[in-house]
Amino acid sequence: MKRHTSRTVRAGVAAATAGVTLAACGVGADPVLHPELSDEDVTISMNWWGADARTQQTIEAIELFEEEYPNIDVEPQYADWTGYWDRLATTTAAGDMPDVSQFDQIYLSSYAERGALLDLATVNNILDVSDLDPNVLDTGRVDGDLYAVPTGATTNGILINTTLFEEYGVEIPDTTSWTWEDFERTSIELSEASDGEAHGLSPFGGDSFSLTVWARQHGGQVFDENGELALDPELLISYWQRTLDYIDSGAAPSASELSETLGLPLDQSGLVTGSTAMGFIPAGQFIAYQSAAPDFDYTLANWPVDADTEEGFQYLKPSMYWSAASTTEHPAEAALLIDFLSNDTRVAEIFGLDRGEPANPAFWDAVEPLLDEAGRESLAFTEAMSEEVGDTPPITPSGASDIEVLLNRYYQVIIFGQSSPEEATEDFFNELGDAINAAS
Amino acid sequence: MSALGEFRNLSRSRSRLDTAGKQERSRDNKAAAFFLAPWVIGLLGITVGPMIASLYLAFTDYNLLQDPEFTGLDNIRRMLTDDRLAQSLQVTFTYVIVSVPLQLAVALALALVLDRGIRGLSLYRSVLYLPSLLGASVAIAVLWRLVFGTEGLVNAFLALFGVEGPGWVTDPDTALGTLVILHVWTFGAPMVIFLAGLRQIPRELYEAAATDGASKKRQLFSLTLPLLSPIIFFNLVLGLIGSFQSFTQAYIISNGRGGPSDSTLFFSLYLYQEGFGSFRMGYASALAWLLLIIIGAFTALNFWASKYWVFYND
Amino acid sequence: MTDAYPTTRRRRVARVIKHVGLIIVCLLMLYPLLWMVASSLRPNSDIFTSSGLFIDTFDFDHYPNGWDALAYPFSTYLLNSFLVVLGSVIGNLISCSMAAYAFARLRFRMRGFAFVAMLVTIMLPIHVLIIPQYVFYAQLGWINTYLPLIVPKFLATDAFFIFLMVQFIRGIPRELDEAARIDGAGHLRIYGQIMLPLMVPALATTAIFTFIWTWNDFFTQLIFVTKPDLYTVPVALRSFIDAQTQSDYGAMFAMSVVSLIPVFLVFLFGQRFLLRGIATTGGK
Repeated sequence: MKRHTSRTVRAGVAAATAGVTLAACGVGADPVLHPELSDEDVTISMNWWGADARTQQTIEAIELFEEEYPNIDVEPQYADWTGYWDRLATTTAAGDMPDVSQFDQIYLSSYAERGALLDLATVNNILDVSDLDPNVLDTGRVDGDLYAVPTGATTNGILINTTLFEEYGVEIPDTTSWTWEDFERTSIELSEASDGEAHGLSPFGGDSFSLTVWARQHGGQVFDENGELALDPELLISYWQRTLDYIDSGAAPSASELSETLGLPLDQSGLVTGSTAMGFIPAGQFIAYQSAAPDFDYTLANWPVDADTEEGFQYLKPSMYWSAASTTEHPAEAALLIDFLSNDTRVAEIFGLDRGEPANPAFWDAVEPLLDEAGRESLAFTEAMSEEVGDTPPITPSGASDIEVLLNRYYQVIIFGQSSPEEATEDFFNELGDAINAAS
Repeated sequence: MSALGEFRNLSRSRSRLDTAGKQERSRDNKAAAFFLAPWVIGLLGITVGPMIASLYLAFTDYNLLQDPEFTGLDNIRRMLTDDRLAQSLQVTFTYVIVSVPLQLAVALALALVLDRGIRGLSLYRSVLYLPSLLGASVAIAVLWRLVFGTEGLVNAFLALFGVEGPGWVTDPDTALGTLVILHVWTFGAPMVIFLAGLRQIPRELYEAAATDGASKKRQLFSLTLPLLSPIIFFNLVLGLIGSFQSFTQAYIISNGRGGPSDSTLFFSLYLYQEGFGSFRMGYASALAWLLLIIIGAFTALNFWASKYWVFYND
Repeated sequence: MTDAYPTTRRRRVARVIKHVGLIIVCLLMLYPLLWMVASSLRPNSDIFTSSGLFIDTFDFDHYPNGWDALAYPFSTYLLNSFLVVLGSVIGNLISCSMAAYAFARLRFRMRGFAFVAMLVTIMLPIHVLIIPQYVFYAQLGWINTYLPLIVPKFLATDAFFIFLMVQFIRGIPRELDEAARIDGAGHLRIYGQIMLPLMVPALATTAIFTFIWTWNDFFTQLIFVTKPDLYTVPVALRSFIDAQTQSDYGAMFAMSVVSLIPVFLVFLFGQRFLLRGIATTGGK
């Protein structure tokens, strides 16, 4: 068992004797600049979320690391997504954050701005990130400082179930230059051809990734550089209105059916069970969809456009990150582990595309020959899209980690007709704006 | 709060106690010190500290990662204008008021049926308890969505009668009702407690009643139910406390969100979202103490009412 | 001939109706379990499309796959859960019955206050207590041990069971212990030799419920135990699933079924003790 002594525990002991136990994490803890690796035996903990396959792969990578550095013992910790964040919040509050943690962009600012994460510039004598795509690397910065190293990044895309299209005899339009009109017309055709068995598309409406891409298609953005909500309300209204139109026209399933799969693991989504033929997904999840539904054949396409669509509306969204705790007693070893995970191509061979399409080009080359057909298709799509992507937008600011939950909630309110998109937009702005203000 | 009712019970027995004399009372005090020692150590050593901490946090702004900041009554002021709090209270009250009596009635009825020395009793009891064994796992969450989905079993059954059912757990109008049904369905725990209680009633009493010519119905109302009343009372009190804190069922069915559109936003779920989802643990703690006050008031009411219908042997 | 015995016939009909009714209810109760078993035998892609019990294609691989899918064989998690459960059951039986005896039979100072305090402790939701608890256990060096899960049970923190036993003891006629007291028995003897045997149904209920609830409890086991070799069954079951990647649901269902077997067995064999009331021990 690893214990963080230091001021945390002392403060804790004092507080506990008073009957009040409070958090006192590493805010203001002074990180050592350029710490040295220890020659002694060191134990660090590493924390991630994921299912069993990722667990096995990560443990394999850890073993490789321990072989390379025999004096470092890496203690694995893992949990499912919600359990992971509940536990991370608890342990961090108690000053007991694991040394290295996998991170997601919605929580990155929340933890970094409140001092829980190690400023990786302090360990750049050990951690080398120079090989990573600078555009992607920037998504690990909060207020200009690097707190997290992205594992990979992906664009959004449209997943198309070609099996369903063949089955119902509907032709897929040329997706290299399709318009929103083509998209809707094709969907309606498929819904009608299937006679209620399936619908053409699962609309967007409840996730920040698709909202961001939608906003960028129309020249807007969701958050600005200052961590403020900078979305034009009209864009949110049109985003939700689009979904309502799809439901009305029969391109999409009914509100009830849509609500049923909302926020569920992808194995249970309509795209996998075959109740919808097209949907908006992070392109990096293509392989997961394909292997969850072996009976279907999928393909990826870029979003449809309109005549006035802005160029470069797609962007690379980081899939996840590695970061270190500001309270870590072994910053050098933590940095070494992150360096290993980000630069050693043997890690790439173990992970494949599980943590996104690699941000490190060397990983890309190492992975490519090992991929199956779906994997290659996924990489090819991202490569093709790399021509199209624009600047990377700022990540979700501190206090806005609720955005997914909020979008989800208002999306349901709208599709069940309890509020109009206009009313919901107003409420959404109030609620998210308050949360951001409260956090800053 | 609930001291009221308890004190009343006490004072009833105190008259007897007075005759027992001082010596016995001091002996009782000593014995109590022994029997309650583990509980007192637990209370002071483990339970009270975190409770006081949460009470303090209720008056702070605490984002989990930075030190809490004392903000006085801000959290309470916030409650007054919090629409989602109002929604969660409404959901929780509806749920408690409908599901607790319903579940108890089903549990009691089945316990009475099973207690009558029925053939295959242990098999029936095991099977009836099954849903409570399953708990609230991921597996069960998946099942409910399939059974109560738009294309699910329930609707397939209704379709036989030409009725087109909604998506039971995903339609805001029916989601809470479905959760009530699911709650009633896990009546195993109170049923087992009822059965254990029924077993404590001496058979001689029934034999005597039967000799006196009391009908079965008469035996039920003037013998079984009064003697079972402490257990009914227990199930009622703990059922209320448990349902007010209901979390897991709504959590697994709505993926932790209380949806569709907040129709299953239980109080505990809201509190959890505020604390862990939005990093507002100060406000979550204030909510928790509001819940404690509500539950405490209901429990006190129960204890007060119990003197009219609960019959103790001692 | 039946006309000659109308009452017997009516009674027989009533009995048949009762059994038919019970069997229907039982089927409703059994359905989820059967469905879980069915799902554990289906290919993954069939699980989310079938709410029925019919299995198109059998897939027995989920059991061996699930057993070895995580970092440790599933037996590790079963064993860990057993340890936690065993400690919890023993702790609850001893500490709660002691406290209950005091509350039900002893007239001590501040009894009313103590009783209220006991009930109040179960009125706060765990989510606001977990962080202070974690800080506290971390100071004791108890994180990554089962102590935070077991020790509180030995200190009667489960007020549910105290209250349950109080209600049971109060149902036991006072003459029994008064008779013993006249014979010169102290409280310890009355508790051990008179109350405990008479409380067997309540003790059995406590044991069974503690077993099941601890076996299924996810949150505290997740938070206080972070080392994978110490993970318990509920934590292990969740680590099969990830929303953003494809997950092996079949394996998860298979292991869910496996993890139900011990609880079901405990209930099946434990419930005979529920029957031992005054009625069978011949209290008088």
